Amino acid sequence: MNSSLEKHSPKLMVLPVFIVLLLISLVPLIYVLGISFTQSTLSKPFNDFIWFENYKKAFTDEIFGASLVNTLLFAFIVTTIQTFLGFVLAFAMQKERKLSGLFRTLALLPLFTPPVAVAMIWRLIYDPNSGFLNYYMRQFGIFEKSVAFLGDPKLAFPAIMFADIWQWTPFCFLLCLAALQSLPRDPYEAAAVDGASAWQVFRRLTLPMVAPQVLVVFLFRFLIALKVFDLVYMLTFGGPGNSTQVASFYIYRVGFKQFNIGYAGALSILVLILISVLATGLTKGRDFLLRKLE
Amino acid sequence: MKKLSVVLSLLIVVSMLLAACGQATPAPSTGGPAATEAPAATEAPAGKPYEGQTLNFLTIQPHNVAAQNLADWFKEETGATVNLIVVPYDNVIEKAVLDVTSGAAQIDVVEYWYPGLGTLVENNVLENLDEWWKSKEAELKFDDFFEDYRDVLTTIDGKKYGIPYDGDMHLLWYNKELFAKHNVQAPTTWDEYLQVCKTITEAEKGNDVYGCAIMGAKIPLILIGTFLNRLGSYGGTFLDADGKPVINSPEAVAALDALVAELPYALPTPSAVAFDEALGGWFTGKVGMVEFWTDLGAMTDAPDASVIGGKWGVVALPKGSGPKAKVVASLNAGFGMGVSTTAPNKELAYKFIEFVARPDIALRYNTVVGGIDPVRKSTLEDPTFIKFAGEELVAAIKEGHKNLAPWPTDALWFKLQEPLTDNLSLALTGAKTPKQALDDTQAAWEKIIAENK
Repeated sequence: MNSSLEKHSPKLMVLPVFIVLLLISLVPLIYVLGISFTQSTLSKPFNDFIWFENYKKAFTDEIFGASLVNTLLFAFIVTTIQTFLGFVLAFAMQKERKLSGLFRTLALLPLFTPPVAVAMIWRLIYDPNSGFLNYYMRQFGIFEKSVAFLGDPKLAFPAIMFADIWQWTPFCFLLCLAALQSLPRDPYEAAAVDGASAWQVFRRLTLPMVAPQVLVVFLFRFLIALKVFDLVYMLTFGGPGNSTQVASFYIYRVGFKQFNIGYAGALSILVLILISVLATGLTKGRDFLLRKLE
Repeated sequence: MKKLSVVLSLLIVVSMLLAACGQATPAPSTGGPAATEAPAATEAPAGKPYEGQTLNFLTIQPHNVAAQNLADWFKEETGATVNLIVVPYDNVIEKAVLDVTSGAAQIDVVEYWYPGLGTLVENNVLENLDEWWKSKEAELKFDDFFEDYRDVLTTIDGKKYGIPYDGDMHLLWYNKELFAKHNVQAPTTWDEYLQVCKTITEAEKGNDVYGCAIMGAKIPLILIGTFLNRLGSYGGTFLDADGKPVINSPEAVAALDALVAELPYALPTPSAVAFDEALGGWFTGKVGMVEFWTDLGAMTDAPDASVIGGKWGVVALPKGSGPKAKVVASLNAGFGMGVSTTAPNKELAYKFIEFVARPDIALRYNTVVGGIDPVRKSTLEDPTFIKFAGEELVAAIKEGHKNLAPWPTDALWFKLQEPLTDNLSLALTGAKTPKQALDDTQAAWEKIIAENK
């Protein structure tokens, strides 16, 4: 009896954690999966089992297709720029000791700002009639007349991207700075003794050593960026036209504006699958890149 | 593999059971239960009979001041505390539905945007008030409500689910100073509107002053409202008398053509202009005309609110052209107030809507700045209101009531308004022609209606 208990005790001890994880992650997921096979509304969950009809509809839904393309473009562009800028800033700051505290505090400010407030700030900045961006652009003669950044289909998405870059570059900067400052000093001392140039030190030492962490930063940020919602909701509501329609916002519209919860569930599952495939691909890509750098 | 299937099946069953436990959807309410639960029409006991009790009132952010006034006045009279649950105006329907369907059941009284009334009724969010209306009709003078508001703000399939609270029709506001400067008159047709807008914009080139502000941001309430201002006046409608879509009718296409033609002369850029942007232009004297609700005069004249206090004029919306053209007032927005089926304090909730429905309270909340527009005929005739709003506004409101153009209130409307919003936005940006945008909307609507038969 005692030996049996002893044998199973590790599993028993893990059981509470397993149950909690099950409840907080798997159950909602399975709920969404279940509901995606139905014609549910908010008041009638699990209404009319229709198998894969919602999924079939999703594959012919042009707005959903366009929103996925927009989402991927958004995530890739902002993440690339944020990681690059974050790394460049961190590299420039890594040896700065006196002001590093101040820089880190300043970098934290956009991160501390609630996303809705960030969106409001940028909405005011972009305003064609009273925003300071238009004001100074006209003062300096760069614009002849006011530009409606959020009202022009060609400019609205870049405008949202810019706001996102402003908010999230500090995140990449801080993580890259931490990665750079944690690198061992010995290889650099050896390189100095050998007379290596600054470029050689960067290319042969810094980059290979810091690349794993920077790629993790890219991966994290990419996955977060795929879920962009707040800036689109506050700045453009997916417009003008469908030029800033992204997957999260479209799913919100289907679920909470049209109350079509079953279809919203199917769209959510499809986005989840897409993100999982991308995350796996990026992880494999990261391993490949690291091997190359070595 | 077999084990995995068993585990997954069990998990699905568990999650569905948990979901079922979370559903606290009440049975559809009928006139009967509501009537028995509604307090009798008796005189309130002396003192403050509801002292110590609380009521949760779901309201929208633009009506926050008005709601706080109601809360204060109600507390003065009954002793009850009203907690405001304030949400953005475009989230109020989903918040009310979720409160009931999720089982949260925190809200007693719902202030609802009337196009969402069908959705609220379909989801059993609101108590049926038929019996309550009958019992209170004489005492609260329901025949004093404007007939058009009395039905469209409260009624689905002939049954009452709320009281009229905010009569939000659009009128055309103009800046008298700018009009005098450019020697133009308030337009009576959309063709004249275009000419006036063009005249001012071109004459003020380089001064950041524009003939008109057109709200075209891609938000259903805003964009469809702006379109309906033209659609109704050209004689078009969203649906015909049988509920069939007629959104690509010649009148509708002409209305959207007119809207698109006005865009180049409007405050830049209509696709990004929502309330804040339009009001910013209006208050700073940078726009000549704006289509807005009837409380704009009071907002403009409020101390330090604008540079054009007392310098505005208001008329009914311009008329379209063509055989069906007429002067209309679009009921863009408009709010009713109802009792939640899962109200924690139902008796107090009924007391609160009774309080709000009283003619004296209506006059009180219509004569302070708070964004609430008159729903009672007596308010419009009252000298206090005429002094507060001005005779010009009162005349424009009366003109508007001759032909009110409301939004549909059917439960399907929330599904229908999304493709319309998308396509209008595409037409405004030039990605689709007006005809193409409305043809695509018609096709989308026919599909949605067929799917939901």
